[in-house]
Amino acid sequence: MTSTTRSVQTWMATENEAELESLVSEVTEGKTTLVNIVKALGEYLTSEEDKIRTKGVELLSSVIARCPADKLTRQAVRVLLAFLCQKLEDTETIIPALKGLLSLARTSNCLPEDAPAIAKALFTHAKMNVLVQTVRHTVFSILDALVDRHRQTLKELNNEFLSGYLRMAEGEKDPRNLLVAFAIDRVLIIEFDIKDYIEAFFNVTFCYFPITFRPPPNDPYGITTDDLKAALRGCLTATPEFGRMAIPLFLEKLTAGSPATKRDTLSTMSACFPVYGSGLARSSARELWNHLKLEIFQPTDNITADMALSCTQELVKTIYAPGQEDQKEDDEIEGLAQDVCQECTKILREPEKSQARPAIKVLCAFMSTTPSVARYTISKVVPYLMQLFRAIEETGARVSTLLLLSDVIAAARDATDKDSTPALLPFKDEVFGVATTGLTSASMRAPGIACMLGLVSTQGLLTDEELGFVVHKATEVLSEAAQSDEDEADILKLLTTITGLTPHHVVEQTLPTLFSALPENPPASTDLVAHAKYRRTLEALKTLCQKAELFEVFMVRLTTRVELLCVPASADPDADPEARAAYAYAILKTISRTLAVKVEEKHVDVSKYIERHVPRVFNLFVYASVTLPGGLHSRLISAAAETVDLVCQTLSTERFQSFLEGTFRVFVDGDVSGDIAQGQFKIPAGWKGPFADGASDAQKSLIVLFAGSVVSAYKENTIPVTSLSAFLDQLLQWSLQDTTSHVQQIAAWKIVSSLVNKHTPEVLEFLNDKVAVFWPTRFEDVGLDADNHRRTIGCWVYLARALLVQNHSLTAPFVDRLFEVFPRADIGWDAAKALGRLVDPHAEDGAVLVKKHRAVTRILHVQKFVSTVLPRIIDGATAKEGGEAVQLSYLVGLTALIRAIPKALYASYMPTLIPLLLRGVDLPDDEIRANVIDTFLAAADGDTPEKSLISAHATSLVTKMLKYSRVVEMRNVRVRVAALKYLGVIPAIVRYDVVHPVKARVVKELVEALDDPKRAVRREAVEARTTWFKAAA
Amino acid sequence: MSEIYNPNPVIFSTNKQSKSNIHSIWLQDDEGYGSDTYFDDIVEPIDQNEIFDLIRTIYDPEHPNTLEELNVVSAPQIKISGNHLHVEFTPTVPHCGMSTLIGLSIRVRLMRSLPDRFKVDIVVKPGSHQSELAVNKQLNDKERVAAALENPALVKTIEATLQQGVV
Repeated sequence: MTSTTRSVQTWMATENEAELESLVSEVTEGKTTLVNIVKALGEYLTSEEDKIRTKGVELLSSVIARCPADKLTRQAVRVLLAFLCQKLEDTETIIPALKGLLSLARTSNCLPEDAPAIAKALFTHAKMNVLVQTVRHTVFSILDALVDRHRQTLKELNNEFLSGYLRMAEGEKDPRNLLVAFAIDRVLIIEFDIKDYIEAFFNVTFCYFPITFRPPPNDPYGITTDDLKAALRGCLTATPEFGRMAIPLFLEKLTAGSPATKRDTLSTMSACFPVYGSGLARSSARELWNHLKLEIFQPTDNITADMALSCTQELVKTIYAPGQEDQKEDDEIEGLAQDVCQECTKILREPEKSQARPAIKVLCAFMSTTPSVARYTISKVVPYLMQLFRAIEETGARVSTLLLLSDVIAAARDATDKDSTPALLPFKDEVFGVATTGLTSASMRAPGIACMLGLVSTQGLLTDEELGFVVHKATEVLSEAAQSDEDEADILKLLTTITGLTPHHVVEQTLPTLFSALPENPPASTDLVAHAKYRRTLEALKTLCQKAELFEVFMVRLTTRVELLCVPASADPDADPEARAAYAYAILKTISRTLAVKVEEKHVDVSKYIERHVPRVFNLFVYASVTLPGGLHSRLISAAAETVDLVCQTLSTERFQSFLEGTFRVFVDGDVSGDIAQGQFKIPAGWKGPFADGASDAQKSLIVLFAGSVVSAYKENTIPVTSLSAFLDQLLQWSLQDTTSHVQQIAAWKIVSSLVNKHTPEVLEFLNDKVAVFWPTRFEDVGLDADNHRRTIGCWVYLARALLVQNHSLTAPFVDRLFEVFPRADIGWDAAKALGRLVDPHAEDGAVLVKKHRAVTRILHVQKFVSTVLPRIIDGATAKEGGEAVQLSYLVGLTALIRAIPKALYASYMPTLIPLLLRGVDLPDDEIRANVIDTFLAAADGDTPEKSLISAHATSLVTKMLKYSRVVEMRNVRVRVAALKYLGVIPAIVRYDVVHPVKARVVKELVEALDDPKRAVRREAVEARTTWFKAAA
Repeated sequence: MSEIYNPNPVIFSTNKQSKSNIHSIWLQDDEGYGSDTYFDDIVEPIDQNEIFDLIRTIYDPEHPNTLEELNVVSAPQIKISGNHLHVEFTPTVPHCGMSTLIGLSIRVRLMRSLPDRFKVDIVVKPGSHQSELAVNKQLNDKERVAAALENPALVKTIEATLQQGVV
């Protein structure tokens, strides 16, 4: 007995995987052949017992499936094919035989001449209605393999194959099988001669339209509705022959279907029209339009309406496709386009009515169909609207007409290619005239501007002269708007669009007008309206002056204005210093906001202002700090520092190095002889920099300007000091001892933070000293009070954060120091709150260590920090040994931390956190209270009634929120607003059986919040109360 | 809805309000709140605009447009004096059978959103509706309003018109 026979016999007895393996390896190694296996199987294959026969063929098919392709010789394949085809006759062996056939049909040695035999065998013996899904899938897969590999031979069979296949495909319902069947359908329809079977194919494909299949949850096969839709659409669009039968079916589905069906039908129709051809489209145009019209003019929803619109576009494109033999002269459009145009213009007769909107949408859609239709539509609509505009007298209707016109202009613009002549050109003068009328009359301004915007942004339509005219009119409108407190966003948008094309008109006309609207001297501080007015002008300048040409003028004019305001030529005894500072601040802030947009958009002209703007700023502020008593207002210094910072963000490494050296000379050495502080003011002796002994308060405040120049340095830049550690030490000491305001401290700490972050390896000694000596000494010093300690904690946050953002190992000892002082009654809470500031992107130091300042940061540093600190805080807040005071400190730390981090980082701790947070709400500190409620709000996002985290606590939360929403209980507006917001969320995140018992109480008690003295609170109260009213099972 | 009373109503463009700060001579900082008005004790009384904000977004039962877009309600048609509020609205057509429903929607919104101290009168603009008296009576009679709100189908329709954002 050969080993083959032995293996076969053992397998038949045991179905052991190992035997199968050994058979496959024998075949692979050439020790035996497939034919030998058939021989060995002999008696089993002819056995009287059904089961044995099944198993016999099963073994053979399994071996074939696993056999390497080169062992399936031509000879073997032919024999096996014949053998397996024969086994299809036997109902007991058909299933394994099909598996074997599938493997064989996919091999290269299955030749075209085998295909007809296999196909015929399948058609004869495979009875689809008695086979289960997987087996049917095998059948379809064999057919798919045959059609794929032996298409030519099968084509010769044509009718026999088609009728056989259609029989098999009919009535299939399983989506997995349908995907294969649709693929085969499409090939057959396209490549085979189906003239006798059109109706049959129509029936086996269109019967599935529209696909309503919804995949079951966790579907292992991963078939989506869209897969099926796409596959089916491939069949429906396979031949124009379907057209005549398809259109009535589509229309029926469109009329009767659900919104989903409507959408599917519309997009399928859009895909089908081009295939079905222009002849059919033309003959059924009327009928189609009558149905599409309904979807556009009485839409179920906006998406369906838009799809109906694009379906109409496809229809029109198909009808008027270029190269149609009966195409008439260009402008003599007949048929659908003509009818629809007439129909829609008729509706436009009442431009102010709601039906005018869809009508104009249809006309606009026509513009992006074919060029001839577009020209035709424009030639009908534009003159019509012109005439309408002239004929009607009522303003409301004129406004509506202009609005419709603006849609047409925009559609005409978007429909024409960049290089061809604008479609609107023949009507330019008239339209331009009407748009001007709109622009210049107050009642029709908005639509007038919309029209103008469309005209201006149409390439190649308006001449330079005409643009100049538009700018002229727009500038007038802008000045008028400033007088009457109108919204000027639209007119500015128009002007900005023009600056994008050609800036010179705006530079010549608009800018002078705007600059002259800025008063030379500040208005009195009692004249709030005048202050608001120049701020509007500045806002307009900010919007307008983004382009390099305009920005240059903007900078020159505004910087000069700031200089004149800060250092007035003649000391006016009546001058109002606050008004003066407020005006200068508004200008500086406008410069910085404009710069911020430009830096964001990476404009290349920003970096040159390191020579033009920064030295002037230094010059002015240094001069003022020496000569003016008290120097300039601290807000001015901050705003100026922002502008310097923004310009610095655009410098190259080399440029930054020389700038740094200059800056350090000015601020550290007190030397203003270099270029860096050049300007129109001559700085008298007396400037020694903010750090010098005896520096005045005003001079110390310029640390803010220094910080603005340093924080965005590259880490490759060398800091021009002899020892960085020593410099940092001095700075830190200075910040703790010599500063006179919090602003100065923050600025110093920002510098320290930025330098430590970028030069960590260089300053390790400094850092270790802080942990080991500085902190303990400060806190053991009995001469220092709580304020001093608060300051220490303040600078500590900046130091620790510099390390934390780069995941540095020294972070841990820095954080430990904070924890150490939690038990202290005087500053425990301050240390706890500092934990939150360490990771809060909105903390005042948050903006320092960021990418735009070239900080060294690692991704996921917050995650790492939270994963070590959060469990520690939770432990601390629940541990008994420290006593309640310590627990409370931890609780404060917890609320501060959680508030600062994204929900994902603490979501997994939520069940433990909720009881803690509930305690946190009642801490006697409004800031903490508001933070905790905000945390609840953040945690509510994504919460559902089914698995709500707060269900068990809902009632007590409701009581607390009601309490904190009442003005008599809670003076802080932020807490009241937060409490009401959260109250409004609760019904959506807990089950109704929890809501119901408290509903009546909430609705009743919220009445009090409806009468809150603050509008913001009332707004939230209304929202919350409405939500509770509507809460129902 | 079986009959459409006004299939093609006039749409009005809504006004944008310019928001200029005339509370301080200083330019507002980028960080929105933190401004002084948030923590002070100044009382901001309920005014015409606040009432208008409450009802402008109510949807017309017949159209996908808001009452503001159809000019059914407008700020000048709201009068407030002490605890007495008078809201007037204009039906789009004089035979509009939806007027009572619109009025009820306004009433429900105000009932839910205003403190109890207000007495609210809701009336159609004089001369704008053929059964003006009947509509006004229905809208301002406590019992009738309560009876109407017992009708679940009606409440459902009203809730739909009060939906914010989408119809």
